[in-house]
Amino acid sequence: MRLTLQMLISHGRVARRIGLGPESRINMLRNILTGLVRHERIETTRVRADEVRFYAEKLIDYAKKGDTDEKAMKMASFWLTEKDLVPKLFKVLAPRFENHSTGYTRMARIPNRENLDRAQMAVLEYKGNPFPPLYPVKKENELTLINQLLKGYREERARARVLGAEA
Amino acid sequence: MATRTACQVFRRRFSSASAALRPSTAEIRSRRNAVFSREQQRQRALYPRIEKIEVSLRGPGLDGTLLIMNKGMSTPLSCARHLTEYHVNNSALALVDGELWPLHQPLTDSCTLTLLMFNDSDPTLLNEAYWRSCSALLGQVLETAFKDDYTVELLSTPEVPVTSGAFCCDVVLDPQLDSWTPSPESLRSLTRGAQQLIHQNLAWEPLEVAPSVALEVFSHSRCKQEEVEQKASDSPKGTVMLYRCGDHVLLSGGPLVARTGLCSQYEVTAMHSLGQGPWGHHRRTQGLSLPLQLQAHHTVWRRLRERAEKLVEAGAKQESTPPPSPDSAQ
Repeated sequence: MRLTLQMLISHGRVARRIGLGPESRINMLRNILTGLVRHERIETTRVRADEVRFYAEKLIDYAKKGDTDEKAMKMASFWLTEKDLVPKLFKVLAPRFENHSTGYTRMARIPNRENLDRAQMAVLEYKGNPFPPLYPVKKENELTLINQLLKGYREERARARVLGAEA
Repeated sequence: MATRTACQVFRRRFSSASAALRPSTAEIRSRRNAVFSREQQRQRALYPRIEKIEVSLRGPGLDGTLLIMNKGMSTPLSCARHLTEYHVNNSALALVDGELWPLHQPLTDSCTLTLLMFNDSDPTLLNEAYWRSCSALLGQVLETAFKDDYTVELLSTPEVPVTSGAFCCDVVLDPQLDSWTPSPESLRSLTRGAQQLIHQNLAWEPLEVAPSVALEVFSHSRCKQEEVEQKASDSPKGTVMLYRCGDHVLLSGGPLVARTGLCSQYEVTAMHSLGQGPWGHHRRTQGLSLPLQLQAHHTVWRRLRERAEKLVEAGAKQESTPPPSPDSAQ
């Protein structure tokens, strides 16, 4: 082929090159996706987690069609290398995301790997998993002095509003 | 006509004579201070030899810590000083064997100790104690604010819940001031006085005394003596708790916080007249305050302050039934 300068510069190209080639990339992502469906929260490199995210959400969309659908069953059996996870996908994960339209996964970056490569790591999880939350929820204490004063203030305002509405 | 002027002259002469008989507020204060110090010395001298007690701490991260402290001399504050500066600065009250204990009161037996702070998971008791301390501070400011010609009588402070929006201090002023209503400037000067006391960071020193000593302390004030008798009959042990802040001795219905420096935003918001009572013209002074660890933004403070200017009704009137929402009323 004609060796142009454009071949060496990759400005604007969105497709990532992972592994040894396209087939190797799909196989690698398949393994990571199987691990995600089995454990519901996994830790990989940031780039792999970002790639798998798209496929994880598309897999849930296929699973929502139901296990009687031929295409959905073919996709599930292709993408999940361990075949005991296919019923888990259709019976556990698909009903969990019935009321969600998009956004079944969450990705959180974590400190770089300790090895020599210092790779950027991320945690990828399906929402609704049984583990403690990745970002701890900050609970407001209702009983502190300032919150009690504000509670009294809000109640009085509500009372005044009711009296104003009645009058 | 001549007799009327003569009567007026005599009345004025007699009223000034009675005013001269009554000792000045400074003298009363120094006398109360002297009695308090004497009683404090006497109680300290009850423990001539140092005996050790074991204090086990409770709290997040402190469970199981055992401290060996001195009997009758160590206070929960000295236990906190063995821990960290954070505990010293932020703890306002202590729980000894489940009972509220002022931070400067000496421990007498081996016990379990919990230091209470404003950002605990359940600071309800501490909030009530803080409200009481703010009323006590307001009472102290009112006693020292007026000139020596006018008497100020502090009545028993009503226990107001925190959700009512303001703490109150009931006071009876001199009959000459019956027609005086405070202007915003005078309220602001009272606030300044309170801020000065806060800046001095005075400790509220507790002292548990027998009612006879308390009656001696308040020998010049009849309503305080009645309050002492009433509190002595209410308490299970028959003793009365006195607190001293700087050189002002006061009576309180419950434990107070450790020091005045714990309050940061403090404002005297209003003074309402409650009408004639048994001691004279009753007035209710109200204020709003927040501790050092829970400061409010100025917009929030402004709204809370506007609410604190309204009269607070004391005495168990609670809005327990929630008002119907405006949507259902329509």
